[in-house]
Amino acid sequence: MKNNIRVERAIKNITQADLAEAVSVSRQTINTIESNKYVPSTVLALKIAKVFGKPLEEVFMLEEGD
Amino acid sequence: MKNRFLFPYWCRYLGWALVIGHVPLSMLGRSYGMINIMDAQPTNGGPFSGEHLFFICTSLVMTTGLFLVAFAKEKMEDEQIWQVRLDSLRWAIYINYIVLIASLVFIEDVAHILELNLWVPLIFFIIRFRWIIFRLNSSLSKEDK
Repeated sequence: MKNNIRVERAIKNITQADLAEAVSVSRQTINTIESNKYVPSTVLALKIAKVFGKPLEEVFMLEEGD
Repeated sequence: MKNRFLFPYWCRYLGWALVIGHVPLSMLGRSYGMINIMDAQPTNGGPFSGEHLFFICTSLVMTTGLFLVAFAKEKMEDEQIWQVRLDSLRWAIYINYIVLIASLVFIEDVAHILELNLWVPLIFFIIRFRWIIFRLNSSLSKEDK
């Protein structure tokens, strides 16, 4: 699964730490999601999309092989 | 993320204190000749003799300490930590059974196998869990540079 978190963060001008605080996880978690090392749960993915005010599909997308 | 069945964060320090405290306690026991430190077995005397009780106490202190260290909450508990914990537990069980089966085949001393079985899963779990968290933290500090 790919994601646009880094881009969305840049648009909204928030840091990893800000996003982590908004969705109550650690910065490490946001960092590993951004670098595609960790696939978040549906709840966390929905929470992140909510922070950016976008539908889930615009922040997270399937990639080939998923 | 609701995490039940985990000890509070401060229990980790209590756990390390117990693990470290167990060392001089065992040394003391050895110097008084109560136990043979190399195998930490009760020496002579039947069940609940001084030697046996001392053996139980030191083993209990060590195991409780390791248990608290292994299952204390992290400062920031989230789903990734939860997953790392589960993954480390799975590996600890794998390693434990590999060691157990290998020792059942190659070692005749059954008492030692029990002793081994008492430490291996907890120690391996702690090492693996801390190592992954260390790697997560170091990837974060690399990002900051």
